This record gives sequence, C-alpha cells and structure tokens, in this order.
Amino acid sequence: MSGRRPPGLVRATLAIARKDLRIELRTKEVTLTTAFFAVLVVILSSLSFYLNKAMAARIAPGVLWVSLAFAGQVAVLRSWSRERDNDALRGLLASPIPRAAIYFGKLLSGLAVLVLVTLVVVPLVGLFFHLEFEQLGWISLLLLMGATGFVAAGTLFGALTVSGGAREVVLSLVVFPLVTPALLAGVVATRALMTGAPASEVLDWIGVLGAFDVIFLVAGGLLFDVLLTD
Amino acid sequence: MRLTYDHVRAEGLVKLYGRTRALAGVDLELHPGVTVIEGPNGSGKSTLLQILALMARPTDGALRFGPHDARRHRHVLRRSIGVLAHASFLYPDLSGAENLRFFGGLAGVEDARVDTLRERFGIGRFGERPVRTYSRGQAQRVALARALLAQPRTLLLDEPSTGLDVAGVRRLREAIAHERDRGAIVVVITHDRAFAKALDATRVKLARGRRA
Repeated sequence: MSGRRPPGLVRATLAIARKDLRIELRTKEVTLTTAFFAVLVVILSSLSFYLNKAMAARIAPGVLWVSLAFAGQVAVLRSWSRERDNDALRGLLASPIPRAAIYFGKLLSGLAVLVLVTLVVVPLVGLFFHLEFEQLGWISLLLLMGATGFVAAGTLFGALTVSGGAREVVLSLVVFPLVTPALLAGVVATRALMTGAPASEVLDWIGVLGAFDVIFLVAGGLLFDVLLTD
Repeated sequence: MRLTYDHVRAEGLVKLYGRTRALAGVDLELHPGVTVIEGPNGSGKSTLLQILALMARPTDGALRFGPHDARRHRHVLRRSIGVLAHASFLYPDLSGAENLRFFGGLAGVEDARVDTLRERFGIGRFGERPVRTYSRGQAQRVALARALLAQPRTLLLDEPSTGLDVAGVRRLREAIAHERDRGAIVVVITHDRAFAKALDATRVKLARGRRA
C-alpha cells in the first residue's frame, strides 16, 4: 500500500462535497431544475393568491417555504441519482472512509445548491408579492435552518433510492411527513416576522428548527452506515 | 493504521435477503494468487464478493483477513481491498483523471500514484474527457486503475472481461498476472471459461449458496 493515511471524517466530507459541486458546476443540472421549479411556484402562486399587501405578507411565507421544501426534495433526489449512474455509490462504499462522510458530503453539496436557489427565490417573492423584508437577517436564519433540516432528512432517506431499491415516490411519502414540523415552524415564524412581530416572538420556533436540524444531523451521521450496508 | 495479512478466511458465511438465502454456509480460504469462483446465476458468487469487499455484512458466519476480524476492522481493512465490477463505479460527468484523483484522495494515495497507473494502463488524452464519452474498454481501464489505486492486498473482480474486446481482455489478464506476481490475493468471478482457463487459478465452485 502506498501514500498517506486515508482522510478522516472532515476531509472525506469536504472531498465528496467538492466532487458533487464540481459535477454541478459542469452540468448545472440540479441548480437549474430546482431553481426553475421554485421560481415557477412563486410566480404561479403570486398570480393566484395576491390580493393586497396585507394578505401578501400572510401568504408569501407559505409560498416561500413550500417552494424551498419541494426544491430541496428535487435537489436531494437528483444528487442521489448521480450516485446510481455506473454504480458510483459502490465506489464510495468501497473506499476506506467513514460512511458518515458520504452523508455529510452529500448534505453539504445539497445545502449549497438549496442556498443558491433560496438566494434567487427570496427576492422574487419580494418582487411578486410587493413585500419588503424588514427583518431579512432573522428570515435568512430561519431559511438556512429550514434548508439544513430538509436536506438533512432528504439526504438520509434519499440514499435508500440508490442502495435500498426504494422508489422515489416512497421517499416523498417518508420525508414530507418528517419535515412537516420544520415546515410549520418556518412558515409560522416567517409570517410573524413579515407581519411586524419582533424577533423575540419567534425564538421558540427557531428552537424547534434547531432541534429538528440537530436530530437529523445526528441521526444521519449515526444511521447512514446501517442504511447503506446490506 | 495499516493491517497486514497473508490470507483471507471465511467460515460458514450465510446471507439472507428476506426469505431468500443467497449464501447457505460458505467456507473458503484465500491465499496469494488467483482464485476463480464459478457457478451458475443465483449461486451466490456476487453476494460472496460483496461480503469479501466489506460492502455487505453476512447474516451469519465469520470473515477474517489474517488475524483481523472483518467486523471489528471493516473501515481500516477496506483500504487493503480493490474492487472491480461490471459497472465502473466512475462518475460519468467527471473525466477519468478526475475520478482517479477523487477516489485516490479517498484512499489516501498521492497524485503520483494516479499518474503511474495512467501510464501503466495507457490512460492518455482520453483520460481528460468525461467518462460518459468512453468506450467500454476505456472505462474498464480507468476502473481497473481505480481498483488498484491503493495497491490492494486483496483484489476482487466481478465479471471483469464482460464486453471487452480481445486487446482489453489481454490487458486485463496482464494486470491480473501483475497483481498475482506482486503477491496479491486475487479473486475473479467469471462466466467466461476461456478467460478463467487462461488465469492459471485455483477454482472454487458455488451452487445454491454453497461450495459445490
């Protein structure tokens, strides 16, 4: 055997995320698919639901979070489908790296794509619903925490669509009920902020999102090996 | 940490997929040299290879790499195992060279090793193109280089000659001979009798999940 030691958890995670992002930069497949989908949801919703500015502040959070939840799901599924081509996932599984690194690497690249999509969707929601995001910092925090939760849950169960033979529809049936608490917390907290509530009123919801993220990050790190080994 | 060993021993390997018994108690000892595993479809060959590659866990039985229990040292032992299957395990949107550097990085090998293997397997200019543009023979060359990145003690090959032309088969035979001469434990699963015959190998037959 030759060379240096195989990478540990952090280096292997970063290598896998870099690999995914390099492929994404080349193909732009996941970013374009998810961004197009999310933008379409925002535009159609604004055409259907916009009545006046007061109502818009109550409707827009739902539109924003639903578009991101679906975009996150699409991003995760597309990312995993790449591992199916040429059985590439088995190449990762045969590598001497902690299995959790595969989970965290896929999570990191999926999150990067979803953050990019969010950066497109938020200004569009402001534009089409005639809203100004006065508490943009807090809303950004909520969106980042929500995106982390969606991607963490999706990445964990998305692996089954490659290695476990589960159909993608099964993933939707499993993941959407699981992310519902995060979705509810995000929508309610964003709506409160958009209708003028102070940030102190949404701290509990931020706590819910934080707990959701921690649970799925820890579960993903611990369970991924079990899920991926026959 | 590096673990060394000079043989691999499987005892009573059983693998169940639900009610299906893929392996029904396989005993096997592998030593440096080439071992060909033969058997009809469904005899458990690929399942056995998956377990030897530490990609699947046996439902029952023991697997040891020399003195090292596979259950306890799976992670470290993986570095000593190279796997080549019919699928290339390569990312189609990366070039062959990028794939090799990526998997080499995960195996902890230097880029110089990648260059050596590219030269050895003639992965020249085509190695800079995306893998999705490769012929079967070109993909197989890169896949073989990927399997050999960490100079594995154990090399596992599942139907490696499928779809290769005459030159590809010859190159594959030479690579196997090279690994054998290096002292590696080489296991080949193949339906190709002519290919198996040319390997000068120990033969193991499986039928219905058992040694026949």
